[in-house]
Amino acid sequence: MATINFTINGKKASLEDVDPEMPLLWAIRDNLGLTGTKFSCGIAQCGACTIHLDGAAIRACVYPVSAAEGKEITTIEGLSENNDHPVQKAWIEAQVPQCGYCQTGQIMAAAALLNENPNPTEQEIEATMSSVLCRCGTYPRIKKAMSQLVKK
Amino acid sequence: MKNTNINRRRFIQLSALAGGALTVGCIPTSDGKEQAINLASLSEGAGFPLNQFIKITEDGTITLFTHRPEMGQGTFQSMPMILAEELEVDINTVNIEQSIADRDLYGSQMVVGSRSVQSEYHKLRKMGAAAREMLIQAAAQQWGVDAETCYAENAQVFHKDSENKIAFGALVKNASKLSAPEEPYLKPVSEFKVIGQPIARQDIPLKTNGKAIFGLDMQVEGMLHASVERSPVFLGKIKSFNEAEVLKMPGVKAVVKTKRNVWGHEREGVAVVAKTYWQALKARKSLKVEWDNQDLEKNSTETLFEDYREDAKKSGDSLHENGNVNSVFEEAENIVKATYEMPYQSHVPMEPMNAIVHVEKDRVRYWGATQNPNGVRSQLERQFDMPSEKVEINYTFMGGGFGRRSQTDMVEEAADISKQVNAPVKVIWTREDDQTQGPFRASQVNTLRGVLGENGEIAALEHKIIAQEIRNQTGSDMKAGRQLMGGVNTDYQIPNFSVKGVLQKNYIPISYWRAVYHSTNPFAHESFIDELAHKAGKDPLEFRLNMVKGHPKFEPTLKLVAEKSNWYEKAKAGTAKGVAICERSGGYFAMVCEVKQEGEKIRPIKITTAIDLGICINPDTVKAQTEGSIVMGLTAAYAGLTIKNGAIVEQNFNTYPLLRYHECPEIETHIIPSTDDPAGAGETGLPTVAPALANAIFSLTGQRIRELPLDKMNIIAG
Repeated sequence: MATINFTINGKKASLEDVDPEMPLLWAIRDNLGLTGTKFSCGIAQCGACTIHLDGAAIRACVYPVSAAEGKEITTIEGLSENNDHPVQKAWIEAQVPQCGYCQTGQIMAAAALLNENPNPTEQEIEATMSSVLCRCGTYPRIKKAMSQLVKK
Repeated sequence: MKNTNINRRRFIQLSALAGGALTVGCIPTSDGKEQAINLASLSEGAGFPLNQFIKITEDGTITLFTHRPEMGQGTFQSMPMILAEELEVDINTVNIEQSIADRDLYGSQMVVGSRSVQSEYHKLRKMGAAAREMLIQAAAQQWGVDAETCYAENAQVFHKDSENKIAFGALVKNASKLSAPEEPYLKPVSEFKVIGQPIARQDIPLKTNGKAIFGLDMQVEGMLHASVERSPVFLGKIKSFNEAEVLKMPGVKAVVKTKRNVWGHEREGVAVVAKTYWQALKARKSLKVEWDNQDLEKNSTETLFEDYREDAKKSGDSLHENGNVNSVFEEAENIVKATYEMPYQSHVPMEPMNAIVHVEKDRVRYWGATQNPNGVRSQLERQFDMPSEKVEINYTFMGGGFGRRSQTDMVEEAADISKQVNAPVKVIWTREDDQTQGPFRASQVNTLRGVLGENGEIAALEHKIIAQEIRNQTGSDMKAGRQLMGGVNTDYQIPNFSVKGVLQKNYIPISYWRAVYHSTNPFAHESFIDELAHKAGKDPLEFRLNMVKGHPKFEPTLKLVAEKSNWYEKAKAGTAKGVAICERSGGYFAMVCEVKQEGEKIRPIKITTAIDLGICINPDTVKAQTEGSIVMGLTAAYAGLTIKNGAIVEQNFNTYPLLRYHECPEIETHIIPSTDDPAGAGETGLPTVAPALANAIFSLTGQRIRELPLDKMNIIAG
């Protein structure tokens, strides 16, 4: 058992008496009560649990909580104050979500990509967005939202 | 519709709701229609299902209490749109609240078969129109004028002959004393301002900032977490498990045997119950269960399909017959024959199955994501012999349903565990649990025979379906029912046409899956129609058009898809098109799939659809549902489940690949304008995907696809 400290959405968090092997996902959801980050496959295949760790998109479902020591984490709850991050605005504009469950992962993946590379090529967008699964089939609208974001 | 008394507790709840507000519902009448009703006029003992109802308070707040859960299909937007149209209010001012689960009070709340809009369209219009007329009446009385000289607009009542106007809120008190009109004036479709507009969905902003709450997100004071090891061969019985060892793991509170019923089969599992989910999951890894698997491990996809193929030799039960197929076959020199095979499929909602249940001595409470709130209630009433008012059902948004969440086995299991450990328990299924336990979309073998006449038209067609039936999975009844033939197009004008069913009874659990039998039969049917078209040397689209001449829905959709997909233009090098048509839930689809050769592989590059769904409440939602159905249909064409040693092989997304972003073709949806009543939009785009794709592949390569999934053949570009 260990004590793990990190910053999440701008606030310090200290988790005591946690299993260092526990995936960061469960620390975020169960210990910190931030349920916007989702569980779906548990093996880093679907991207529903995508968060930003020191600015980079990672899969929280396979990332041990101990490895987050001292890091800066952003979850969907911390992406913007008022649902107004450009990616969120583009998602609403294109009416992307259906059930909405995977959209945290879609939005966090897109935000990390654009943060690193504001003008990605079609291939670069494909490489990132193909890593997040959507069973409702919102891909055509994600494509529309992404092309709006890149145009701007 | 059954008439049940609203008991005292529910009645009080209802009156509390109605206090100081105008509340209007819509109830079924004895002649099978519906009638708006002022809920304030309800007296104790009056009983009927209320369906949805609206409440307008004195501050002008309008709330629609909707009784249908939301799983992404968009009823949270389409329902208030229908209401706003007749009530004459801005759609964005209508709040939506989810009603509690109560079949007596609300009638069916199940979301399946793309039925929500279809079944609520008339009720919501009548309810909105009645409330509008009551508000107008209240204003007219206040002004001492004839109600005929007043009208409602933008949540206000206006007097035509003066400057008088008054907001709905200020009229609520007086309007609530009036009776609801029996036959309120309903707008002609030509005057619709809200219905038919692509209006942004209210639930979408909640789904971009993590605020939408799903079953998995629910927390209950004092709850424990469970992860359950279930029989990998479905019907394995527990012989023993290492309880003592697992109990020593950190956080573990209990290791208990549990069970759930899936379509008549009792299914066993061992639940590891711990303080946190991670502890339960980790401890489950040290759980060792010894199973009595009888001889189920000898079964595989191969052995199961051998049974199907054997059953294909039976003559089968008649499901449809026109003309005399046999007499044509007896005389015919050339009979075209083909057999099509389709695998089991998993539902794969991105939110895995989960449920929280707290069983106490005198009450049971549930929290979770369900397509079937009434079913959950009945399940818990039955399981604990609990009266209805002692069962509380709390339901959330669903992270996808696709039919899987119409079942209540995950609730039964959580309740069983809660009862044993005497605490609220949250069970979360892993992806592997979800993927391998079923119940699945049925696998199928379809055999077809056809004879072409001298003019190259179909003289006779026989379609035989060998399949399991969802509602007949146990017991000895072996007769195939008509539901097996879902998606077999009997609107084709074929002079001699028979559909037969052979009930395949095996223990692999199956259930409703998006579009149900419409997700399988059309692959065989529309592929075979294509085979006959090519045999006759005819254009496959023209061949179909000739068989739906004068059909009010199929003919226009086929013609439109031909135009929009440039069907008659010469194909670009390395590309080809395929077509398919189908009806589902009253909606008509014609689809053209265009494929392209990429090296040795093939990629679908564009799917064009023309659809007639009657009047579309929100065309943007219809397009979203069509895109979603196509994406799900493509996954079902590419991937499938196989069985080895009695267990499902494809356990997670690494082996059951869902379609990904870069694989999604361009999708173009053309809606035929209509004033007919709305048809279902949630599934209708799926049935035509596999046959349109397979027909395009044939057109490109000359290779006829008669077996799904395609990933076995390694021909689709990744």
